[in-house]
Amino acid sequence: MANNPTRDGEGVEDRHDRILVIGAGSSGLTAAKNLRERGFHVDVVEREPHVGGNWNIDGSASRVYDSTRMISSKPFTQYPDFPMPDTAPDYLHHTDVRAYLERYAAHFGLDRVVERSTPVEEVEPLARGFDVALTGADGTRHWRRYRRLVVANGHNWAPKWPTYPGQDTFTGELLHSAGYRSGDQLAGKRVVVVGAGNTGCDIAVEAAHRAEVTVHSTRRAYWYAPKYVLGKPADQVSDLIFALRLPTRLTQALFQATARLVVGRYERYGLPTPDHRFLETHPIVNQQLLYHVGHGAITPKPDVAGFDGDEVVFTDGSRVQADLVLFATGYLIRFPFLPDGLIPGGDRPRLLRNVLHPDRTDLAVIGLIQPDSGQFALVHWQSVLLASFLELESRAPTAAHRYLREAAHQLDDRSQAGIDLVDSTRHLVEVEHAAYARDLEKDLAVLARRLAAVAA
Amino acid sequence: MSRRAVQPQGEKVQRRLDWTFPPPPVPREVRHARPAAPVPGRPPVLCVHGAGMGAWAFDRWLPALAAAGWHAVAVSLRGHGESPLPDRAAITSLRHYEHDVLQTITELPAPPVLVGHSLGAVVVQRVLERYRSAPAGVLLSAPPPDHGLALVAALARHDPATLARGVVGLRTRPRARTLVGPGTPQDEAERLVLRLTAEPVPAALQVILPRRRPLIRTPVLVIGGGEDRIVPAATVARTARLLGTRAHLFRGMGHNLHLERGWEDVLEVVLTWLGRTVEVATPGPQAP
Repeated sequence: MANNPTRDGEGVEDRHDRILVIGAGSSGLTAAKNLRERGFHVDVVEREPHVGGNWNIDGSASRVYDSTRMISSKPFTQYPDFPMPDTAPDYLHHTDVRAYLERYAAHFGLDRVVERSTPVEEVEPLARGFDVALTGADGTRHWRRYRRLVVANGHNWAPKWPTYPGQDTFTGELLHSAGYRSGDQLAGKRVVVVGAGNTGCDIAVEAAHRAEVTVHSTRRAYWYAPKYVLGKPADQVSDLIFALRLPTRLTQALFQATARLVVGRYERYGLPTPDHRFLETHPIVNQQLLYHVGHGAITPKPDVAGFDGDEVVFTDGSRVQADLVLFATGYLIRFPFLPDGLIPGGDRPRLLRNVLHPDRTDLAVIGLIQPDSGQFALVHWQSVLLASFLELESRAPTAAHRYLREAAHQLDDRSQAGIDLVDSTRHLVEVEHAAYARDLEKDLAVLARRLAAVAA
Repeated sequence: MSRRAVQPQGEKVQRRLDWTFPPPPVPREVRHARPAAPVPGRPPVLCVHGAGMGAWAFDRWLPALAAAGWHAVAVSLRGHGESPLPDRAAITSLRHYEHDVLQTITELPAPPVLVGHSLGAVVVQRVLERYRSAPAGVLLSAPPPDHGLALVAALARHDPATLARGVVGLRTRPRARTLVGPGTPQDEAERLVLRLTAEPVPAALQVILPRRRPLIRTPVLVIGGGEDRIVPAATVARTARLLGTRAHLFRGMGHNLHLERGWEDVLEVVLTWLGRTVEVATPGPQAP
């Protein structure tokens, strides 16, 4: 290159046609692998000194804790072209998921591609492409210019804190699940766990073993699905129901009948009746919670109303003394290195299939879904979609723009299979896995036809 | 006239059968032959045997591949060689074999070249669709990607007793000339016949009956025998055509190109092709 670009006299390293993938967790790794497979040159930058993202408990942004295990079973979770080992159980412990991701990275030669300990500080969009400020492993900051950017920074790391009256004057300890690592933090304490996501239920169960008193506060009554049905992982059974492709109401009725058969009435355990149909909230898969509620080791409570000295006050007027209140209240979607508004839609990102930017062909997000099933498999197909799209774009830019225009109507179709999700920040990127897989398959067929037309 | 145009389009995202009834795990027999001086950057070569055989079918090729500088691997599909069937195996079909090959792949240090013979070549075609990182595929005596009805016709003409036993899942005792070409001595052929085991009916039927054609983008080498009485040369040529390439046919050879007399010549062609293909096919060298 004759004229190297500069910024305020500082040199900018032009990376030409290389694609930058931000993050080497489960999403960034498969994005890089699938782009390379299509012949693209890829740089991957990772803030941590290792790959594995959330699943690497040593990472500063990892939110797994010592009892974290997979919620969905192997066939739904694994990358379709790199199955989890036959020797592993149905649901892997987080240490085994980490080992799996490390093997994936090594097998596909990504080890040599990932620049570790290299956080992205700032991204500045250009008319086409981006200038990216990085801090290298040696601690020096420098700029690079890329034509294409793939963001895979995860969406389960920035804690979402609720606020209640009197919270500031509470004399006990307040902790978000982001800071929870091990049951040792609960030992011998009077613990209130707030939130009934899969994390909240895991921690409540752990507290039932370790804490002196365990209270579980939930804002509404949920459906708790078992991890096993008929001796099989429950998702492998429930997918048989999905496969029937019945009307949504009938599917929900079948699920509720199954829950009734396997679990029984929640009232019998002392829990309120769910106020919504099955599938209308992100599924909670936990077989042990009800067991401990039934044994009196966990006391269920409604939403928190406020704090008073060393007491937590609930919306039904009851109070409990607590040493520790643990908020398992979820995470916020954040892109701290991107300028505001670059990803359209604010809190509810508006992207085609949660991947492609509706107006820019040089920017995509990978992994920004919360499926009611395994994550890695669907993110693999997101990456194949992106690779196909970029191949079309590099061969025929106008065809790629036309694809974006014609697919724009999908922005309001969020692959939720007609399910009326409870309005909650928890469902901002929720997808129903079977519908999402079907939609991706259709998109990939469309892109394959466009590619064939361009090649002909 | 575009040969690629006859290929199916789009990816198979939904794998409902694999999601709801994942293949039960089994231990696998995997044989390795490693080169004395490994060539850096060279992928391993994974060989998949045909019906009624096992990893042993590549006993000649494995050391020869290693001697030529390739890390050679052969797997026994479940129910073959030293790989058992799971305790409660209701049905064993091609997707179970596909699973066995994929599991073996994940244990290799890098994406392998896939070699498949006969039924194993059908399995390899399925794997190539699912696992796109393989740098190349080698298909020996391969039934076409859409159906293997020609195999029934060929067997009915040359060896109807083997066909009859095969379709009911019995251990077959093919005539020596069904298995190998005229260049291989009778006693050698008969020893091969004695090693064959029964092939489960569902898997054999899947090779024969019409099926969804896999979408394959990997470069493939298709090789057949001019005297093949199971997958005739014309059928191998059709396989090649449907995969967008031309078949390489060995005139005097039969169905077991990797076992019968002349196997060194077949391997020579494979090695030459690999040397040409694998370097340029490795992902990453040029952006589109």
